[in-house]
Amino acid sequence: MLYDLRHSDLRLRWLVTLLLATLGASYLFGAWMVGLYAGFTPRKVAETYGPAGETPMMMQMPPETTVVTEHSISMHDMGEEQHHVDLDLLVQDTHVHMPMYAVIAACLSLIALGLAIPRGASMSIIVLLFAAPWLDFAGMWLTKLVAPGFAIVTLAGGWAMALGYTVVAVLALWQMWFPRTGDTSQ
Amino acid sequence: MKTLLLGAVTAALLHITPTVVLVKREQAVARLLPGADEFAARELHLSSADSKRLHDAVGWEPPDGVVTFYLGKKQDRVTGVLQFMRVDCQHGPIELAIGYDPRGTIRAVEVTKATVEMKPWIVEALRAGLLNEYRGMAVGGEPAGATKVKPQIGAMPAYMAELIDKGVMHANAAYRLFYR
Repeated sequence: MLYDLRHSDLRLRWLVTLLLATLGASYLFGAWMVGLYAGFTPRKVAETYGPAGETPMMMQMPPETTVVTEHSISMHDMGEEQHHVDLDLLVQDTHVHMPMYAVIAACLSLIALGLAIPRGASMSIIVLLFAAPWLDFAGMWLTKLVAPGFAIVTLAGGWAMALGYTVVAVLALWQMWFPRTGDTSQ
Repeated sequence: MKTLLLGAVTAALLHITPTVVLVKREQAVARLLPGADEFAARELHLSSADSKRLHDAVGWEPPDGVVTFYLGKKQDRVTGVLQFMRVDCQHGPIELAIGYDPRGTIRAVEVTKATVEMKPWIVEALRAGLLNEYRGMAVGGEPAGATKVKPQIGAMPAYMAELIDKGVMHANAAYRLFYR
C-alpha cells in the first residue's frame, strides 16, 4: 500500500470519513433519482434509453404532406410525460457525468491505496471503481444503438458502482476507526 | 492533482441543474382549458414544406417534426386549445403551456418547468407581471412581455422573459399556421 490509513493522521481519517459520508449520501439520492426516472429493472431501463420511447423511424423522414391524427385522451395523459433519454440528451449526460464519475472513482481509488489489503485486491477494487461507470454508460449507448437487451449492462454498472463504494467505505471505516490492538500508532 | 481539481470544477460548472416543476401539467390544463370535460390530442406530423413555412415565420421548427394541439371540449364543442412548448438555452430547458380560447386569442400562459438555476430568475419575471402581458393577445401579434417587464427586473430574469416571449411566439405561429 502507498500509505496506511490505519496509521494516518486523525485529520486525514476525518477527511476520508466525511468524503465517504458525502459520497454515500449522493449515491443514495442517485439511487432515488434512478428509481424516479429510469427504474431498476431491465425493462424500465430499456424503455428509458432504448428506441421504444422515441418517435418511430418512419416518422423521422417528414411525410410528403402534413399528416394529422386526432385521438381522445384523458387529463392524466396530458400530465407528466414518460421520462425518455433521447440521443441528444444521452450525449449531454455522458459529457456531463463521465468526468465526475472519473473524479469519484479516483477519490475512492486513493482511499483504496491506503487500505491494508493485498496488492491484487487493491488492484481489483480500482478496476471495479473505474469499470462501473464505463459499464453504466456503455449499457446506455448499447441500449440506444444496438438492442434494448443491453439495459442489463447499465444495471450491472449501477450495482458495480454501489459495490465498489460499499467495499471501500466498509474497509476504510473499519480499518481507520476500529483497528486491531497494536495496529494504530495513536 | 491540479488538472484533476480543474476537471472537477469544470464538470460542476458545466452541469445543467435538475428540472423543477413550477406548475404541474394537470394544473396548467385545468387553468388553461377551464370547464373542459373531454380532451383530444391533435398531432401534426409536418411535411418538409410546412416545417419550412414555420421556420420561415419564426425561425423555429419542432425538432421531432411534430406539433401537438391539446383540445379541451365540453359536449363535443371545443372550449379551448393548449400547446406545451419547450424553449432551450444554455442554462437548460423551459416548458411553457400556452392556452387559447375558442376565438383564437391567448387565454393565458403558464411556465410549467424550468431548472433549479433558472427558477429564481423566472419567478422574478413572473412577479413583475410577465404572464399578464400575454392574456388576450392575438396569435398574429408579436409577444412583447419582456420589453414591458425589463425596467423592473434584473438582467437574467429579463433574459428568461425573452425566452418566454420566444416560446409564445413559436406556439402562436404553430397555431396560426396549422390549427386554424
